[in-house]
Amino acid sequence: MNDEEGRVDLDRVWAGVAAQVWRRTPGSVERTAGRLLRSPGLARALVTTPSLLLGWVAASAVVLAAGILATRGTGTPYVAFVAPAVAAAGIAYSYGPGIDDAWELSCSMAVSNRMVLLVRALAVFGLNTVLGLAASAASGVALTVTFGWLVPMTAMCALALAVATLARSASVGAAAGVAGWIITILARQETAGRLTAAVTDSMLTLPYLAVAAAGAAVVLFATRTSRGTS
Amino acid sequence: MNIELTDLTRKFGRTPAVAGVTMTAGAGVLGLLGPNGAGKTSLLRMLATVMPPSSGRIRLLDRDPGDSAQRREIRRRLGYVPQNLGYYPGFTVVEFIEYFALLKEMPAADIPRAVAAAVERVGLGDKARAKLRTLSGGMLRRVGIAQAIVNEPELLFLDEPTAGLDPEHRMMFRSLLRDLGQRATVVVSTHLVEDVGAACARVALMDRGRIVFQGTPDELTDRGEGSTAAGDAPLERGYSAVLAQARS
Repeated sequence: MNDEEGRVDLDRVWAGVAAQVWRRTPGSVERTAGRLLRSPGLARALVTTPSLLLGWVAASAVVLAAGILATRGTGTPYVAFVAPAVAAAGIAYSYGPGIDDAWELSCSMAVSNRMVLLVRALAVFGLNTVLGLAASAASGVALTVTFGWLVPMTAMCALALAVATLARSASVGAAAGVAGWIITILARQETAGRLTAAVTDSMLTLPYLAVAAAGAAVVLFATRTSRGTS
Repeated sequence: MNIELTDLTRKFGRTPAVAGVTMTAGAGVLGLLGPNGAGKTSLLRMLATVMPPSSGRIRLLDRDPGDSAQRREIRRRLGYVPQNLGYYPGFTVVEFIEYFALLKEMPAADIPRAVAAAVERVGLGDKARAKLRTLSGGMLRRVGIAQAIVNEPELLFLDEPTAGLDPEHRMMFRSLLRDLGQRATVVVSTHLVEDVGAACARVALMDRGRIVFQGTPDELTDRGEGSTAAGDAPLERGYSAVLAQARS
């Protein structure tokens, strides 16, 4: 054996040791997401969504639980009013320049920030839908009210995400979603004479869908690649 | 050539930040010098594919970043340290670098070793499991450099990478740059003329959106000889002389 063959590359050996010592083992949710999305990067981005972290989800559950108690106590379907607001806040905090400290760096990645936004927003929306439906079922309100908030929730989520993206601030987006929903409830109460009109009037379905479509279009436009970070 | 720019322009409103830059670059370290507002950061953002040009043509690694599939391929082979990097305070050093390695679509099996190597190259081995919120500004800068080099990029764009580094780590970084420049095209924007002299094989000087000088550091030094331009070092005098000439 000559000197060259016998020489050990200590840096390489150490890198191998350090890799084993520092290696992070993805959790079961991240592994499953990685398989479903076919992208470990997207999966990692998904499990680090601020509004999917345990604390946030627990806070959402507490707010909905308060809605259940209020609904049972008064007979007014507060869950239907609370669920869209909770979801809108969660969506605003799912992704975007307002909450991603490393947004500019993220814009230079092979996994596009628009894809990260889409996956995170869908996951937050899905989770909030499940939580809201469970809360509605637990509060024992009529079926029309149980599902009546789903369409306005879609609209408020799209509004919150659009404003958060344009304003580059999750807080502003969340405020816009919540304020938009409160204004809608109060305005419909004023015109229809019922507090529940915002979630029971079928004539509002089209306007809600229009808001949802407009919000989605704004988000797609604002996150198109050619916009960059300018 | 890894970088080919033709009449590249970027405007913000009516104000041109980059005005008709034409340049090519192959492997090696290119220092991008210029005063504040010269257009260095805008040029680097376009090179890093995070901002499109208003007009002109960019080709990176013989690909068109305007095409989404080709842009994705470029981004897999690219490293970027923006001027304001931004960090996730709750992430550890390793988690942060690993996250961006995943977003660069590195093969998952290669990532642990690549992350470990990147952490060691920037001298942060003893802080590998520290939360980013506990690190100093200079250490965070090194974390930023580590995420940029984790994928052994063919294109590396660094915007003021030595800001906040102490002299020891600045020297280490220059050595790292020279090493990376053996294989990759490295473009470093800096205010520090001594960084250019120590680490860059070529230098481009920008002023008011235009490239007003391209050459070697020695050629830039030559431009200052015999002139009354301001500067404590020969390279600084060359820098000042070229700027004065460009503005006259």
